[in-house]
Formats: sequence, C-alpha cells, structure tokens
Amino acid sequence: MLLPALLLLAALSLFPFFYIIWMSFNEVSLIGGVNFEWVGLENWTDLVTDPDVRSSWIVSGIYFIATVGLEMFLGIAIALILHETIWGKNLALSILLMPMFVAPVIVGLLGRFLVDSTYGLYAWFLDRTGLITWEILGSKGSALTAVVLMDVWEWTPLIILIVLAGLSSMPPPVLEAAKVDGANYFQRLRHIVAPLISGVVIVALLIRSMDAIRYYDIIAITTNGGPADATKVIPIRLYETAFRFQELGYAAAIGLSMLAFSILVANLFMRILKQQGLAR
Amino acid sequence: MNGAGKKVALYALLLLALLWTVVPLLWMVLSSFKRPDDLVSQTPKPFFAPTFENYVGLFTGGNALGAYITNSILAAGISTLMAVTLGCFAGYGLARSHFRGKDHVSFWIISTRMAPIAAVILPLYAVFRTLDLLNTTTGLVVAYLTFNLPFAIWIMNAFFADLPPALEEAAMVDGATKFGAFWRIALPLTTPGIVTTAILCLVFSWNDYAFAQSFSGPGSQTLPIAASQLITQTGINWGQLMAIGTVVVLPMIAVGLAVRRYLVKGLTLGAVTGE
Repeated sequence: MLLPALLLLAALSLFPFFYIIWMSFNEVSLIGGVNFEWVGLENWTDLVTDPDVRSSWIVSGIYFIATVGLEMFLGIAIALILHETIWGKNLALSILLMPMFVAPVIVGLLGRFLVDSTYGLYAWFLDRTGLITWEILGSKGSALTAVVLMDVWEWTPLIILIVLAGLSSMPPPVLEAAKVDGANYFQRLRHIVAPLISGVVIVALLIRSMDAIRYYDIIAITTNGGPADATKVIPIRLYETAFRFQELGYAAAIGLSMLAFSILVANLFMRILKQQGLAR
Repeated sequence: MNGAGKKVALYALLLLALLWTVVPLLWMVLSSFKRPDDLVSQTPKPFFAPTFENYVGLFTGGNALGAYITNSILAAGISTLMAVTLGCFAGYGLARSHFRGKDHVSFWIISTRMAPIAAVILPLYAVFRTLDLLNTTTGLVVAYLTFNLPFAIWIMNAFFADLPPALEEAAMVDGATKFGAFWRIALPLTTPGIVTTAILCLVFSWNDYAFAQSFSGPGSQTLPIAASQLITQTGINWGQLMAIGTVVVLPMIAVGLAVRRYLVKGLTLGAVTGE
C-alpha cells in the first residue's frame, strides 16, 4: 500500500533534488531547450562571495526574526486571552482564524490596497494621525515593516490555534490547586502554564519557521524586493537570478542553501516529535 | 487589578485583536461593491450605494474570470484528489508497518513537504520545459503534488496511528482480509481526518501563486494569477481586484472553518491534537 505513493513521491522529490544539485555545478541556459555547461564549483564560490546574496540573507534574517517573533508573541498572548474568555470564545476563535485561509497573494494585494496613498484606509489613518505621511511601500523602513505586518496578519492565527490547543489540554486540577495555594496569574503562568505548554509552543515555532522561508508570495506581489533591495529576501533574489538574469545554475546553488535551512528545521521537528513520543 | 477590571481589560484586548483581523477582510468585501469614485473619496466611505459592476466586469469581457475559475478548480481539485487517495493508502501503510529505516522515510516525507517553493520551482521549470508541461493544467497538478502528496501521507499517517489496531485485528479474526480491514474498518473511522486532509490540500493549492506564476500560461492560469494581472502599467483596478479577492477568499474561509476541530492536527502535521 505504501509503494505507489512512495514511488510517485520519489519521482516528485528525489529527481528534482538531484537535478537541482546537478544544475548548481553547471551554467544552465534555456535557449533552445535546456542546456548544461559544466562549470564545477564556480556557482558555489560565487555564492559565498556575492555581496548581494549576503545582503539578501541579512534581509531574510531580519524578516524571519521579525515575522516569526511577532507571530509567536502575539499568538501566545491572544491564545492566553482567549483561554480566559468565556463569553463568545468560539465565535472569536473562528473570526481570529480567518486570515490563515486567505491566499498569500491576496494578503499582499489587500495590504497594498490598504496602504495605497490615494486609496488606502490604513494610509489615510496614518496620514491623518501624522504617523506616516509618505508613500508607505516606497520607503525602505516602512516597506519592510508593512510586508512584515502582512505576514503577521496572516500567520499569527496559526500560533493562536496551536497554543490554544496546548492550553486546553492542561489538566484543570493543577491550575486550581495553584490558585488555592495563592499563586497569582503571572506566577501560575510562569511556573505551571509555561512548562506544560512548552512542547506545543516549540512545535508552533518550528512549523512557522519552516513556512516562513517557504513562502514569498506576499513580498513578490507588493514590493518585489524593493525599494532599494530593502525587502529582497533570499527567495526573491533566487527568483530574480533565475528568471530575470537567466542564471539558473547560480540560482540552484542559492536554492540548495535555502533547502539546507529547511532540512535543519525539519530535523529539529522530528526530534521534538520523538521526544514527546509523537513520532510514529 | 480587581476581577471586573481584569475582565474589561481582557475583552478590550480581544476586541483589538478581532478588529486587526477583521477590518482588512471587511474592507475588501465592502470595496468590491464600490463604484470607482467611492473608492477614491477623500475620507474612506463605510457607507455608499452598492454596485455589482466590479463583479459584472470580472465575469464579462475578453478576459472573463470563468476560465480562471475552471483552471483553479481543475488544478487544485485533481491534485487534492490524487494526494488524498494515495495519502490514505500510504499513510495507513506507514502507520501499520514497522521496518528498518522508517524514521528516514518519515524524515524524507516531511522535508519534501517543507522544501522552499523557490528551490522546487527551479528544477521543475527545467524538467517541465523539456517535457512540454509548461502552460498546462497537468503541470500545475504535478507541481501541487510536490507539497500535497507528502502532506497527505504524513497527516493520514497521524490520523491512522490514533486508531487502535485492535479493531482491524478483530475484523481479520472474523475473516476479513487485510485490505478489507483497511477499507471497511479503518477508512470509515478516519472520515474526519480524510475530510480535513482534503480541505487543507485544497486550500494550499487553490491559494498558490508562486507555482502558477512560474508554470502557467494563458491556457492554465488560476485565480491568483487573474488577481495579479489586474496590476498593470497604467494603474490598478482596485474595485475588481477586491472582487476577485472576495471570490478567492470566501470559499476557502468557509471550508477551512468547517473543519476547525481538526485544524490543529492537520496544520501541525499531527504533532498537536485539538480538543
């Protein structure tokens, strides 16, 4: 029963995997079919020395820490609030989860609409309050902030969902006992709730981390890396290298370095599953 | 802080989170019913005379949305169907078998699911070009299988693993074949799991932009591509864009929330189980 699916998966994953490795040692041109010209380690040495790629990794790093950090913080906070809520909890959760199902490209387009200097609701509000009076996506700092917040809008719900599941599975008697013993909310949070949900929080962090480097739709449709490379995360750089500058071999090397990151995170994920006895 | 004050603070914060979440979506739906001059007004207009002209504009004319919707349904639907069918068999096989290197197989499956899209597009693009799969729905189905198949195998494995094998063993004692036990006992008992898996596969592929943008042409372009095409050199038709957004988003929110109970399990790849 396992075999047909695994064979198909092998065709879908192993073949492209070896193909991209092969690409990374060649200069690949798309003129008249697909042509390879062996260049050895050239793409790889370029990868280490290229200042553009390095700056993209830095942007990716900032983007990653900002999005995942904010999502974790807000997600945990909102889950804790929701956990204490009695009235309207179900409805509130359903509403809070909605952004997760919105196509990332629509999140980007909607974000663009909201911060557009002529049409945008948020741009109007920020302009009126005097906070931001310039073109939001046209300036480095505000553009990066905007794309970070679009991602936060879309994916914080995932963290809320996961953490809330962890909170709901806590045994109530433990909390009651601590309450009776006179522990205040923050003491209970630190000494009882935190250890009980730490496993779930780590799962949320890892799942989010893997996806954070996977998707690039929001940036592609809003700033496409601009202004002045302020939002040029590594997948955008890869795409541009491959399809605008036609350097597919070099792009392959960049792709493999991204893959290394997600394999590392997947490895951690497997370890967590095992530790919690969840691996099957 | 006393009890009542705490409660007020709690609900105030919750309200803030709800507003942050819902305002963009509401504004999108509202704007999709606005005339151009209501869209550009000096101060944002929450009240206006609604019009269907954006939707009418989308569904009529040279580049009507109908073809994009068909392409989206075909690409997302077929890849979902294939992924879930194969995923049920393979997930069950994985859950009920013990073999050396099973850990490695699991790891391979999950890293396939998590591979960065940009890194997957490159080799697929070259291969599709050689095999003439660019600009075809088949190409998109294959592309979506690269993430839907490993996802379906992994999640179905998690759902089957929760099922006590004793039920199938009892059926087999009563004379059922191994396949019979799977087909008549295990499969019906995991219906919620199957539905959840199918819905998540559908959402992932319906929402895809990166693959469709790289692999699809006039004959296979999907809804997210139609949305991106409204951005032109001469300007952006925001009214129609918000209408497309509404068309893309509402069905996915509806099906997604329909399986809310099982979402945690699906989206954490089986690592966390919900209520």
